[in-house]
Amino acid sequence: MIIAHRKPLEEIVEMLGQLNPVLVLGCGGCTSICLAGGQREAEQLAADLREDYGNRGGQLEVNTYTIERQCNADFFADIDRLAGDYQAIVSTACGAGVQFVAERYPRLPVLPALNTDFVGFDKDVGWYEENCRTCGDCVLGETGGICPVTRCAKSLFNGPCGGTRADGTCEVDPDIPCAWFEIHKRLREQGRLELITRVRPAREWQNQIRRTVIQEPYRERYGK
Amino acid sequence: MAAAQQATVDTGKVKDLLAAHRAEMKRYLSHCMHCTLCAESCFLFMARDKDPRYMPSYKVLNSLGVLYRRRGRVERSFLEKIKKIVWRNCVLCRRCYCPVGVDIPRMIALARAVCRSQGVYPDFDEQGHQESWL
Repeated sequence: MIIAHRKPLEEIVEMLGQLNPVLVLGCGGCTSICLAGGQREAEQLAADLREDYGNRGGQLEVNTYTIERQCNADFFADIDRLAGDYQAIVSTACGAGVQFVAERYPRLPVLPALNTDFVGFDKDVGWYEENCRTCGDCVLGETGGICPVTRCAKSLFNGPCGGTRADGTCEVDPDIPCAWFEIHKRLREQGRLELITRVRPAREWQNQIRRTVIQEPYRERYGK
Repeated sequence: MAAAQQATVDTGKVKDLLAAHRAEMKRYLSHCMHCTLCAESCFLFMARDKDPRYMPSYKVLNSLGVLYRRRGRVERSFLEKIKKIVWRNCVLCRRCYCPVGVDIPRMIALARAVCRSQGVYPDFDEQGHQESWL
């Protein structure tokens, strides 16, 4: 799931400038589940904006509407009718959702209300941890299900570096376990320690371009 | 949301939402032949031992279908009931298949929009974690 958190209110207010009226567009997908941008959070943001403008002697006309997903055109029918009534949309979706809305309404400023953090999992209510950098070259099958790209401070494909502490933590932060130390432990438990000696080709991190995935059965349909 | 839970249903708002999509939705509802071919395209139906309550057609007919049949005149308890159908029993993966072209996900999304318009939607905080949404 994509994890995000709300930007500071001052930053959202600064982005808005003189734009008024405004629609706060909630998302019923990932940001709803991580308690950052669902209907409740969108309504809270609208209330905070109203109060902030009121405290400064101004008035912001702000309404909210929440659709099921901001990254899919099928859910925009109601917003297509509403969008023309506003000078800006403040989206509480992830970065992908914001861009989708911006592409759909190119004449309208579409502003992000959230900072999109990572792909991760729920540790508990309101507690999320990063586990995947969506690098597009998954090695979890060889690393005991522990992602070195995400969990190694240096994103090493062939670790560990020389900075593992004696207690198995990372030299960058003593509160973080060394990913490769953890991988070693996990592979040993599984009796697959030989995998750690496998050398993986260096990943090309530079000059990355926007990625697109079209599944094999659909290539013909899209002429790709 | 607690205040919204106690409020009466704003029937006018519900009717407006239904009216905005009436032509399309009425067409879909009348075109459903109850053939059940959509059933096996739903992974939840398959994962729940083919429980008929997870059939896509069951889900739309018992949520949006009832909303149109009652012309939007529903109690809050009804919205709470269909909340389970349109959120817990459907993840809106958009993989359901209808041989006559009924757009089932759009119907579920509209039923959700009606619920949302009355402040009825899932909690993902402490309370929400106590009941499974899948």
